[in-house]
Amino acid sequence: MTTTPRRESRRAQHARGGTGARVTVRNTLIAYAFMLPFLVLLVLYHTWPVFFGTYLAFTKYNIISPPEWVGLENFRTLAADSQFWSGLKNSLKYILVVPVIQILAIGVALLVNRPLKGIGFFRTAYYVPVVTSFAVVGLIWTWMYQQDGPVDAVLGFLGLHRGGSLLNNPFTALYAVMFVTLWKGIGYYMVLYLAGLQAIGRELEEAAVIDGATRWQVFLNVTLPGLRPTILVCSLLSTISAIKVFEEIYVMTQGGPAGSTYTALFYTYSRAFVDFQYGLAAAAGLIIAVISILFGLLNFKLTRGGKADA
Amino acid sequence: MLERATSGQPSAINRAAADLKARKRRKDRVANLAAYAVLIVIALIMLYPFYWTLITSLEPTGNIYQAKLLPSGVSLKNYVEVLTGTTVPFWRLILNSLIICTAGVTLTVTLAALAAYPLAKMRFPGRDLIFYAILVLMVLPNEAGLIVNYITTIKLGLLQQTNPVIDAIRQYAAVVLPSIASIVGLFLLRQAYLGVPVELIEAARIDGAKELTIWRRIMLPLALPTIVAFGILEFVAYWNSFLWARIMLPDKNLMPLSAGLLELSGTFSTNSRAVMAGAVITVLPILVIFAFGQRYFMKGIEGAVKG
Repeated sequence: MTTTPRRESRRAQHARGGTGARVTVRNTLIAYAFMLPFLVLLVLYHTWPVFFGTYLAFTKYNIISPPEWVGLENFRTLAADSQFWSGLKNSLKYILVVPVIQILAIGVALLVNRPLKGIGFFRTAYYVPVVTSFAVVGLIWTWMYQQDGPVDAVLGFLGLHRGGSLLNNPFTALYAVMFVTLWKGIGYYMVLYLAGLQAIGRELEEAAVIDGATRWQVFLNVTLPGLRPTILVCSLLSTISAIKVFEEIYVMTQGGPAGSTYTALFYTYSRAFVDFQYGLAAAAGLIIAVISILFGLLNFKLTRGGKADA
Repeated sequence: MLERATSGQPSAINRAAADLKARKRRKDRVANLAAYAVLIVIALIMLYPFYWTLITSLEPTGNIYQAKLLPSGVSLKNYVEVLTGTTVPFWRLILNSLIICTAGVTLTVTLAALAAYPLAKMRFPGRDLIFYAILVLMVLPNEAGLIVNYITTIKLGLLQQTNPVIDAIRQYAAVVLPSIASIVGLFLLRQAYLGVPVELIEAARIDGAKELTIWRRIMLPLALPTIVAFGILEFVAYWNSFLWARIMLPDKNLMPLSAGLLELSGTFSTNSRAVMAGAVITVLPILVIFAFGQRYFMKGIEGAVKG
């Protein structure tokens, strides 16, 4: 092989903005060798579950004997199961967390975006719950909610005292768990909004101030539209995780009391790992997946695709 | 302009300007004070639960769930009870977590760093296809993951029990394997590699360097900040993970610390203070890692979303 064609092809790659060596069998093999371990695990643990899980939804399966195709039977069973419906209802109720957590996170991000002394400490403090395991967070809040515990004390101080653990009361348990999700999640979204705020920059806001806009007008007309892409990402993430809420429930209430915190994914978990009805569990999982996708699209629509300008 | 007026003739304009400035400064000070007040209240809400758990875990006796600002007494009795406890092998749990974190972080970072290289810097048939397939996977919700991965783990024979040493290795593998192929990590590292100048790589290729050498000598050092950030993120994720291990592992001796803590809360239900001590021990390494790697950490999170 002479050097001239090699150099030419390289120049051609440059012109196309391409990178790297020429396409040869050898280079292709090298490229795939680099990716092989990753791809094997990706297919086994990420791609395969999507397909096999969808297939399982239409079967009866208990691991021991091979899956038996039953068509829509699992879905008919789910439709007739009041436990599934109440789980679904609780999962949808859980979406109430989303607007609250987004509004609070934007507020907190605006607050920690101020150039104040020691602001780094506050940013870090708000982030500590985010990096703590749900196992720990769930246990801590279970104790905090105990009768006569700190939560009771604060509620009593505010004149809202009802007495007894909020987690033992079917009317408050779901909201008590939702509060923990909120408390753990705010720091995470705060960081994202902080990044969004810093991307907007101060120039536009300052220009608006010079034009005589009030602080509220600046926020409404400059800051908020600028944050729209971030709001899309954050509300998308928090809606999907609200529908799929599981770990808080698993640690704090196990679906109780009286099924008041029984969510759709907890239903899936119970069918699979308590009753060993993998087909039925997969069907419920598929329904949750479809609902997540629908809410994802809805989010996209509501934020107008996250475009910075309306 | 204002500057010149100040240094020039002392006039009414001058005084008005100074007045305005003073008023603005006063307004700013009030606003800052208000901001600090709100910041402190939120910080208390965020940190008090941790603080309360810590002081309660230090108390030998008393009304356990009471709200308080200081412990009624200090002793390490509960910590001793957890660390020497026979119901849950706490040291073993710590060892398990260390093994799982070390293996998990090393493999996750290495595999993502390897796989991202061709996607960023090589040309081969199927590159775009693989890239978009991975993109789609990231967006697709994976509810069946837990169920199908459990079935896969069983079918792979990872939960078989034959001899203690091999069982342990297999079960560690069962815990770690599903999380190793990190799509987010692949993206982060690909982004980092894209920033490496093509000329550097081409020069190395002309000098006859093998691709593996280029990866090790050029890509890895230049992507180091991203690798560190991603490594910290993964450490926290592996250290905190508990659900998968708890669902799958038949042997509680092989559970990681977070999962073992829940076991502890089940078996130690009579001594919540001991469980609180366990919770404190579980959180500590994360706080240490977080304190040292905070800057990288935040960058990693921001990058993960912007990516």
